[in-house]
Amino acid sequence: MRIRLIAVTGCAALVLGVAACGSDNKSSDTGTSGGSSAGGAVDIYSSLPLQGASKDQTAAMVQGIRLALEQAGGKAGSFTVKYQSLDDSTASAGNWDPGQSAQNARKVTQDSKAVYYIGEFNSGASAITIPILNQAAVPQVSPANTYVGLTVAEPGGFTKGEPEKYYPTQKRTYLRIVPRDTIQAAALLTQMKQDGCKKVALANDKEVYGLGLAKLIEFQAPKVGVALTKDVGIDKTASNFRSVAAQFKSEGADCFLFGGVTANGSVQLYKDVGAALPTAKLYGPDGVCESGFTNPAKKGIPAALGKRFKCSVATLDLKAYPGGKQFLDAFKKKYGNASPDPYAIYGYEAMKLGLDTIKGLGDKGNDKAAVLDALFATKDRASVLGTYSFDKNGDTTLTDYGIYKVGPDGNPAFVSAIKSG
Amino acid sequence: MEANTGTSPDAPALARNTADRVRGFLNSYGLILVLLVLPVVYGIQDLKNDGNLAHLAQNLFAGLSNGTIIALIAIGYTLVYGIIELINFAHGDVFMIGSFTASQFWSGALGIGLATSTFGIAGGILASLIVAMLVCGVLNVLIEKVAYKPLRNAPKLAPLITAVGMSFILQNVGLLWIGGSPASVDDLIHAQQEVTTILGVHVQRADLLAFAVTIPLVIAMITFITTTRLGKAMRATAQDPEAARLMGINVDTTISATFFIGGLMAGAAGLVYALYETTIWYFQGFQGGLLAFTAAVMGGIGNLRGAVIGGLIIGCIQQISDNRIDPAWTPAVVFLYLILIMVFRPQGLFGEETREAG
Repeated sequence: MRIRLIAVTGCAALVLGVAACGSDNKSSDTGTSGGSSAGGAVDIYSSLPLQGASKDQTAAMVQGIRLALEQAGGKAGSFTVKYQSLDDSTASAGNWDPGQSAQNARKVTQDSKAVYYIGEFNSGASAITIPILNQAAVPQVSPANTYVGLTVAEPGGFTKGEPEKYYPTQKRTYLRIVPRDTIQAAALLTQMKQDGCKKVALANDKEVYGLGLAKLIEFQAPKVGVALTKDVGIDKTASNFRSVAAQFKSEGADCFLFGGVTANGSVQLYKDVGAALPTAKLYGPDGVCESGFTNPAKKGIPAALGKRFKCSVATLDLKAYPGGKQFLDAFKKKYGNASPDPYAIYGYEAMKLGLDTIKGLGDKGNDKAAVLDALFATKDRASVLGTYSFDKNGDTTLTDYGIYKVGPDGNPAFVSAIKSG
Repeated sequence: MEANTGTSPDAPALARNTADRVRGFLNSYGLILVLLVLPVVYGIQDLKNDGNLAHLAQNLFAGLSNGTIIALIAIGYTLVYGIIELINFAHGDVFMIGSFTASQFWSGALGIGLATSTFGIAGGILASLIVAMLVCGVLNVLIEKVAYKPLRNAPKLAPLITAVGMSFILQNVGLLWIGGSPASVDDLIHAQQEVTTILGVHVQRADLLAFAVTIPLVIAMITFITTTRLGKAMRATAQDPEAARLMGINVDTTISATFFIGGLMAGAAGLVYALYETTIWYFQGFQGGLLAFTAAVMGGIGNLRGAVIGGLIIGCIQQISDNRIDPAWTPAVVFLYLILIMVFRPQGLFGEETREAG
């Protein structure tokens, strides 16, 4: 009886402990800037994975977004801006979640004051939210999506029905300020060629982004003159990938590239491939080019493996951007951090683009249809990222990708900009 | 007409005889054929391509090595099912807690890392093994006391639901402990460093660890169950709890001991997993548990030897599928094997009829 009492008490304490921990786990936060004004109010949302391996980047993005809003005095023209940060991830997934992403988009479609939506971070999440927001004609700008099929049907980079299936109204409502994967694939292949890779082992996580990137690599590799092994789609829940690694070894690979994100078994995969191919150079796209993957202190890959790893991100050295220095000074002043994650500047620019567009519309700034048209009409915008325009598909004209190595602190450190081809 | 009457009875009889013979052959040898199909097909392919069987042998060796972890977890499932006919869904998550406990104990409490001396690492691993086993053993006993014992006379569905509930609670504990993403742990043993090559089969440190922990534990446990007083009580309770009670066996204590031993094995599996894979994840218990449960069913649930053999077989199927077919198909291949084995031998490889079944 006493044992049972102890057991019940222990389990009750466990449950209470869990509840106490869980209560700190906020899925979203709300912030309002500025007071009421004659112009009325508009609502801007961001939807990013604030939990899991990408949380450092997305936290930096939200800081960048808030910085842009603060610099504008919480207003866009005569409109007061209410900004809300939504979380499209769940603690249990440790990654973006389809249901949560859809829920965020539906929440925004029900807000009559919503004129601008920043998101998603993951292409797979955008594949879910674009059709929802499209039907409500809410303008959506992604600060991070690179999957080609979201905007255009380019050879090797789309599946049947893309991108039309994402736009049920047949009118485009989605834009992105990062170059798409056609450019990233070419940049990675160029880098691997420069590094002397003869045969690249290729794997993907079978998600929209990872599989899409791997297909592009397969499509472009012959043109660059890089041989590939058979592309392997991994089971992200597998306990290890030693057999896959052994297969790569038997095919004579001297380099390895994974199309996927950190949360999908990538740490284990790189460990296993790194052990099976002890001299191989290791590469990754922006899906793993983050401290949650590269930093051993954050349970990422071991330091020894990090020395062999290079990755690509659509961000360059922040100081190299036209407005980079001012951005960094302002960021340090507000947050006390002189070297934020490179994605912070994309959050900043995504918000600034929205605020400037609303401001430029004058009294029509609260009309989401007008905001959408104005976004697509953006030409030669002088921004912190450089001067860019949007094409009719919603793609940016920016093309630079940055190559990163693992720095002494374990985080990705900028090495060089690379032009594809 | 006369001619017909002379031959027609023989034709159906012949067909019946042939069908009976085929059925008899399949009943006797179908299971063996099913188990051998992949090794034989790939063995022939290797002989044709390489002129030897080293590739297949490597697959099978890696499978046995991986399968030891599954086997250790499967023992817990089969012990509990054997004695109270409950599928303890929380058992896989107890294994996950074992991994977390072991890795946190050696890195946090003992401060062992890559820079620690070999002697320090060996001692730390041994200490962590004991701690993980004890923590999981006690945890399993607590789970039994809280979630299963009060429902001993309730309908079978009730403890099944509480088992699922306990599984989710433990998953959440793991989630809050290290977060939702797979987390890397220090590769203390240099798991994938090659030790030797025997007949073309590469033996790594992780393989040696898996066998070094699993084989003695399985032998010790089988010895315990077959020779000790408590072990005999466990077997008696598994056969007929009421008769065991009448013979003076404390059934409740025996059941608790069963959960404790199952937990010990899960704790050991947890430590081996953390060192073997060098990555831990709150969801590993669900994955590992599912495979281990499958192994227990494949081997004949309730049968200790069956659970171990089932685990090793699943390890081999996994490795062959990962390496030869496609990792994306591995779960489907494993469960196809399970279905085929069940079709040819519903009670599993070494199973006998349970109290419930008959």
